[in-house]
Amino acid sequence: MATATNTLAAKPKAAPRDESQFSIVARRFMRHRLAVFSLILILVIFIASLLAPWITTYPRDAVDVATNVRPAPPGIAGSEGLVHLLGIDHLGRDLFTRVLFAGRISLTIAITVVLISETLGVIIGALAGYFGGWVDALISRVIEFMLSLPLLPILLIVSAILIKTDAQLPLPDFVIKAISAVLLASDREAQKVVVLMTILIGFGWLGAARLMRGMALSLRNQDFVESLRALGASHTRIIFRHIIPNGIAPILVNASLALGSVIITEAALSFLGLGIQDPTPTWGNMLAQSQSYMFQHPWLPLVPGIPLVLVSLSFNFIGDGLRDALDPRLKR
Amino acid sequence: MTSYLIRRVIQMVFVTLLAAITTYWLLSIAPGGPLAGIRQQQNRITAEDMARLRAQYELDFYWPVRFSRWLTGFPSGPIVFAGQEWFVNVPVGCYMPDAATGGCLDYVYLHEIPQLHPPALSSKGIIFGDFGKSSVLSRGNPVADELWSRLGPTLELMLSALGLSLLIGVPIGIYSAVRQYSRFDYFFTTVSFFGSSMPVFFFGLMLILIFSVTPVLLAETYPWIPRLPSGLRVAVRSYEIAPWLDRIQPGSGLDRILHLIMPLTVLTFFNTATWSRFVRSSMLEVLRQDYVRTARAKGLIERVVIMKHALRNALIPFVTILVLQIPGVFAGAIITETVFAWPGMGRLYVDALNRSDWPIALAFIFITAVLTVIATLLGDILYTVVDPRIKYS
Repeated sequence: MATATNTLAAKPKAAPRDESQFSIVARRFMRHRLAVFSLILILVIFIASLLAPWITTYPRDAVDVATNVRPAPPGIAGSEGLVHLLGIDHLGRDLFTRVLFAGRISLTIAITVVLISETLGVIIGALAGYFGGWVDALISRVIEFMLSLPLLPILLIVSAILIKTDAQLPLPDFVIKAISAVLLASDREAQKVVVLMTILIGFGWLGAARLMRGMALSLRNQDFVESLRALGASHTRIIFRHIIPNGIAPILVNASLALGSVIITEAALSFLGLGIQDPTPTWGNMLAQSQSYMFQHPWLPLVPGIPLVLVSLSFNFIGDGLRDALDPRLKR
Repeated sequence: MTSYLIRRVIQMVFVTLLAAITTYWLLSIAPGGPLAGIRQQQNRITAEDMARLRAQYELDFYWPVRFSRWLTGFPSGPIVFAGQEWFVNVPVGCYMPDAATGGCLDYVYLHEIPQLHPPALSSKGIIFGDFGKSSVLSRGNPVADELWSRLGPTLELMLSALGLSLLIGVPIGIYSAVRQYSRFDYFFTTVSFFGSSMPVFFFGLMLILIFSVTPVLLAETYPWIPRLPSGLRVAVRSYEIAPWLDRIQPGSGLDRILHLIMPLTVLTFFNTATWSRFVRSSMLEVLRQDYVRTARAKGLIERVVIMKHALRNALIPFVTILVLQIPGVFAGAIITETVFAWPGMGRLYVDALNRSDWPIALAFIFITAVLTVIATLLGDILYTVVDPRIKYS
């Protein structure tokens, strides 16, 4: 640990040959079969929803008038000789299309929220742990404050206030434009997604910040940081080049678990009617709609439900695999 | 200890206040509000009518004043101190805003409050137990009545779920710890892993699908499969769940049990996962301790070692975690209650949010926040009581 760089775990002591840190972790991760399988599954769902406009044969919100059975089971023939792979919903919209677009939205929200909130958390936590003193006191109080609140009710009320009232965030226009381009949705829909993402980020950075603070607290007292100070390295350099890279392992695990919980939280908000609303499809609001029709059409909740559960399970398995792979106590 | 307690109580009050202020502030800046619909519906409404309506919803006050009146009922009139009225000419709100310029044509002053907002009609303040009146869900009725009527169902559901999951989860946790890495342990580790990554509402919907929908669909071929009612707490009219059983009368004991089964299963499943994990890790830690080895070394039989020496110490942190359940027991299970249309607190909250009944939503969030901080404090204190090794300073 006395060496000053982030390749500390790659000390070729017992290894038969020189291996980078990354390939060690990758090899350990590969041994966790469920995690690898989950990763492949996530990639498949990710690519499918990325290619949604090319795979799907119907427009997202188009009502198919070829049949008047609504909702209709999978495999029903639609207009122009095409088949509705997963059936149609109560308004006559193609469910396969909607489920893929919903995946696009859910995955975009989850990945963006986790990327931003973990980055934010890492930086805030590293600052708190590295500087200590009043910076630490202030940041720790804020985290304690937010964690001492009942999170779900607060999340719900904030989202109810901001989303149901069409609140606009003072964000540069290109953010909305970028999101609407990614989601292939209108600016108005993108606006809501951005509001929801902001709320989730606002509550999402706490875990990463706490983890990083702990890591930074222990790292800053180690010899290599002291020698860096003696060599004249700036605080910024120490934090960003040494503290953060050395403490990043638990953050990666945390991020992958957070992906799962953000997916669930977003779906729960939409399910309760306080998140993204119809006609913008999300797995959560599709489930909520299916509840009223499930007595005659029991397959209806399975269409959005199965991908939702698979994705959230997969992210958790990947987190599990990463935890094992990154644990330095486990020998290769 | 005393100074620690005082510091914690001050912190507690501060936290709750900050949470309340933040929520209130968000509400005040959000567009829309209770008058948005009126403005669109009736174009011929005059500025005076509008001002009166605004006053009815206390919207004529600036939001900090409105917040203070919501929290404490203050100010309800001019401030009298030493026989003199103070701050009489400080505007506390705007009775008639100027739509054109965004300015104000007629301010509200302190001495005008008693006539614009008669004390009999306005709330005495939430900290004095007056939660105000519902604005949408049961228009004009006290929020407190609405909350009271929902408390029973929520307590019924939450307490039975808590009890049941403890009954199941604690033994599982103990056995998993004693037989660590056994097949039993792996099985329940996997189950609780699923429990932590499965969305509650999907699990609930699956139960409805299996136990309410499928039996109905299969009624032609397998009429003997009983079906469970999928929602509400008691049925509206009598119903049949299986041909080999009498019709079930609404409100009867069996009816209530049948309605309770599914929401209870959902909550018990998720709670059991948490409890068994908790007991397992706490137990594993204790089993590594020297005094457990001593107990074994002096020849005690394993059952006594586990139940008497290990378990009693493993359950020490338990007390605090149990106390932390208090706010949850009050607040109910927001998602589960919504899925099963259970008429409890959580569902009331979601309904209030969906229909913008802010007095109910604010009362709910305030009570939950207060209970949460009190429970946290109580947990910390209890921790020192049950475990004398821990000291706060």
